[in-house]
Amino acid sequence: MDGLIHQFRAAYAATNGEQLAETLNPDVETHSAKLQAIWGRGDPRSMTSDLNFLFYQDQGRVRIRLSKEETNGWYAIYTAYWKAIGEILAVEGLRSDAKSSWARVYDAWKEVTLLTIRGYTNHDFENWTIPCLYVTGKYLRLYAMRADAERTLSNEDTAIDDLQDDFDPQAEEHKSLEDCARHLNRIFQTCASDRAPLEESRKWGVYYAVNLLFKTYFKLHSESLSKNILRVISAGRSDIPPIDKFPKSQQVTFKYYEGVLAFLEENYVEAERHLEMAWLMCHRTSQRNLELILTYLIPCRLLTTHTLPSAQLLEPFPRLQKLFTPLARAIKKADLRAFDIALRDGEDEFIKRRVYLTLERGRDIVLRNLLRKVFIAGGFEEAKEGAATVRRTRIPITEFTAAVQMSGGEAIDTDEVECLMANMIYKNLMKGYIAHERGFVVLSKSGAFPGTGV
Amino acid sequence: MSWAVPSAPGVQPAYYSQPINTAYTPVSIRPGFGQAYQSHQQYPYSAPANPPQPANTMSPPSDQQQQQKFDWPQSVRNYVQRTFQASNEIPGVAREEKEARLKEIIRSEQEKGTMFATNWDEMPLPQQLIQKERQQALMASVDPAATRGQAPSFAVTKKRKSSDFSESEQTNGSTVPWRSTKALSLEDRVSKPPNDKRQLMDGPLTGKSKFQKHVEKRQRRGDGGYQSSYRSPSPPPHSGPIVGMNAVLEKQYFRLTAAPKPEEVRPEQVLQQTLDLLKRKWRKENNYNYICDQFKSLRQDLTVQHIRNEFTVSVYEIHARIALEKGDLGEYNQCQTQLRALYRAGIKGNPIEFKAYRILYFIHTANRTALNDAIADLTTAEKEERPVKHALNVRSALALGNYHRFFQLYLDVPNMGAYLMDMFIKRERLAALANMCKAFKPELKLRYVTEELAFESDAEAAQFIIDYDQELLQERNDHIVFLTGKAGQTFENARAQAFSRVDLKGQI
Repeated sequence: MDGLIHQFRAAYAATNGEQLAETLNPDVETHSAKLQAIWGRGDPRSMTSDLNFLFYQDQGRVRIRLSKEETNGWYAIYTAYWKAIGEILAVEGLRSDAKSSWARVYDAWKEVTLLTIRGYTNHDFENWTIPCLYVTGKYLRLYAMRADAERTLSNEDTAIDDLQDDFDPQAEEHKSLEDCARHLNRIFQTCASDRAPLEESRKWGVYYAVNLLFKTYFKLHSESLSKNILRVISAGRSDIPPIDKFPKSQQVTFKYYEGVLAFLEENYVEAERHLEMAWLMCHRTSQRNLELILTYLIPCRLLTTHTLPSAQLLEPFPRLQKLFTPLARAIKKADLRAFDIALRDGEDEFIKRRVYLTLERGRDIVLRNLLRKVFIAGGFEEAKEGAATVRRTRIPITEFTAAVQMSGGEAIDTDEVECLMANMIYKNLMKGYIAHERGFVVLSKSGAFPGTGV
Repeated sequence: MSWAVPSAPGVQPAYYSQPINTAYTPVSIRPGFGQAYQSHQQYPYSAPANPPQPANTMSPPSDQQQQQKFDWPQSVRNYVQRTFQASNEIPGVAREEKEARLKEIIRSEQEKGTMFATNWDEMPLPQQLIQKERQQALMASVDPAATRGQAPSFAVTKKRKSSDFSESEQTNGSTVPWRSTKALSLEDRVSKPPNDKRQLMDGPLTGKSKFQKHVEKRQRRGDGGYQSSYRSPSPPPHSGPIVGMNAVLEKQYFRLTAAPKPEEVRPEQVLQQTLDLLKRKWRKENNYNYICDQFKSLRQDLTVQHIRNEFTVSVYEIHARIALEKGDLGEYNQCQTQLRALYRAGIKGNPIEFKAYRILYFIHTANRTALNDAIADLTTAEKEERPVKHALNVRSALALGNYHRFFQLYLDVPNMGAYLMDMFIKRERLAALANMCKAFKPELKLRYVTEELAFESDAEAAQFIIDYDQELLQERNDHIVFLTGKAGQTFENARAQAFSRVDLKGQI
């Protein structure tokens, strides 16, 4: 306890938020010895008297500006912190005298989080201490997930709300995490609603909180709630400092989620913009993050500009290589069958990443490439004297049918081929029209396949 | 008949073909609120009264009333006398109350035509009845079990009514002077719901609450003989889900606002009979409002008793099918949510059938995220089953704009999927027409449109097109043509509009 408060004072004297937040770090793996020292013999009375002494009597020794209000706030936080440490040590098996559960850890840590939030609303904490909010929120989320996992494992018959007509299957699965989302939202509100002038404002904590919330909402499959947050931010954009003033790590995370949200709404142009920003800013050693960004950026590019990933780009990411290379190759070769197989082989992974429905549309590009090949194979009309040669633009549908059948590897009737070509025309991938009665497709003389050079 | 029996392998619900359950017991007619109320009032004194009179003693009421105006039996006169004797006075019961009750009793006997048959010498006095009622009302508000056994068939209506009644009675009779009715309900319901529950459920056992002490005090004050006849409250200790005791098959649905009472809840054996009855009634009467209401109460009874087994699955499956047939997407969705969880818990049913519906439904609502999740829910084996495969093919046909394949799939839907596909067929026809108008020039035979878009006849196809533009069809020698080249943005606009308003009623 002594060491903890000394660290606290040092951080306070230096007004160093990161250092201050470090005093609230509950990570057992890296701080095992420190946490055990804080917990001591686990005697609440000696803890209280220690804190009393350090906060109220010993204060004169070190000169830090700490009002009565602030003192009370921190006193309560460290008391709760001490209790939470006890639970954490117990659940990790580092205490011989007691056992605990992640559910109890979650509750204890929730107390720390709530008291920290209260520090800002009731005890005049200054804005440089905001990293503390982040640390508490971050671990609250981790403990919530562990508590949920623990409950699923034990599978005990938890209380069912008898007043409901039906069971609520979702509520049980992520009970703690949903609770956690509410508290994280409070952290967000605490930051976003601060009306103090910008230099003293808690608004500097907004993106910390938002990113935590995004992570939580994605886990809960509540993307719509994430959209709400985005709306709040864009509504208050004039007040909230511009994102490029925040640390890069936060910018990358935020842009990534913003991009994925747009992606899920099929807004690929916007998604591409955000994801590209995240991609460019992301630290080059953050392999996992880069891979995540690419997982969505590649399908975006495929649809917006029909660009395929190069072998060079995919090289550092074996997993992505395995998923995307067969698809890219099939698209390039205009091989419908290979495309279908590649899509089916990667289906589980694509579905899990939620890119399946987007990649599926890549089939249009395969088909476009195939029809284009037929067009080119058709050669040129016999050139009239003196005029430039033109390609043959009246093509019998049977030629396309043959091509689709060969490439797709299964029988297909003319009506379906006409339907597919109607789609190409409808989507502006091909210019021309179908003369159904005469069994011809008439393609445009200039740019029959826009953007492909013919 | 449009009802398609699912062809999924394994256990078939076969709710239509199942033989009728002979264990079914006749159902009593539900009384209205007014009647239930009255029966409660009559209960205390109609019990000691003589058995019901044979029909022949009954004469037309008008006749009898006239007659009796002049001819009161001596026993009744004695009864009235005893009522007002000073020695029979009960403190706390005002004269007005007594008189009102006395009139009521006599009128009731008169109407029943039992004036002469009733043994008036043994009939409890009005003041005794009032006292007893008050005590019971008080108990009822503390302990649900106290009222158990009274005409369980009207359980819900009666309970609602009787608890309302008891509250007003308390204030009137000043039995609860420390709280007004309003304060009672407000405080208990809003500010401390757990306490409220505890009092309701375990109050008599703990014997510690203020409320309970009060009741005991009142009981001690009452006369001894009376108390012995009073059924002592002994609710079963509540650990875990309640076990129903109601044996009546039909029950109207009410949203619960307090903990359910065992006497209002039907146990599983009864519910199984209920399901059989409902299946029969649905087939015979086809009254959706009734069926839906009954299914909701059935589901509620299952939930409060924490019954989650194959029977539960079949209840939700059947309700989902009926709701689907009637286009009640709200109920359908609720059932689907439950079914998803039940199948996940490994309980048997028809997951293939319902997972296929799920996919079709999310196509309808154009919910890509949910669609993705629904696909993620499928195992490799399930993807190969016909209904699921069909639904997945529908999805991919639409995703790729392959209307040709889509409409072929529409013509051959397993189970009840056609009800779901009907919800978006118009929208997809518009999309296909928009597509055709842009790609096919200058015209198409109407017959081609009919066949490609799976219209039942040329007439239907023509009507569909005419609804948007009357100028687009033209008669030729032996056929009609659809002038695709002249359609312009007509179908494109209609398509955009149709996709912009997907009805998300009851969307999860």
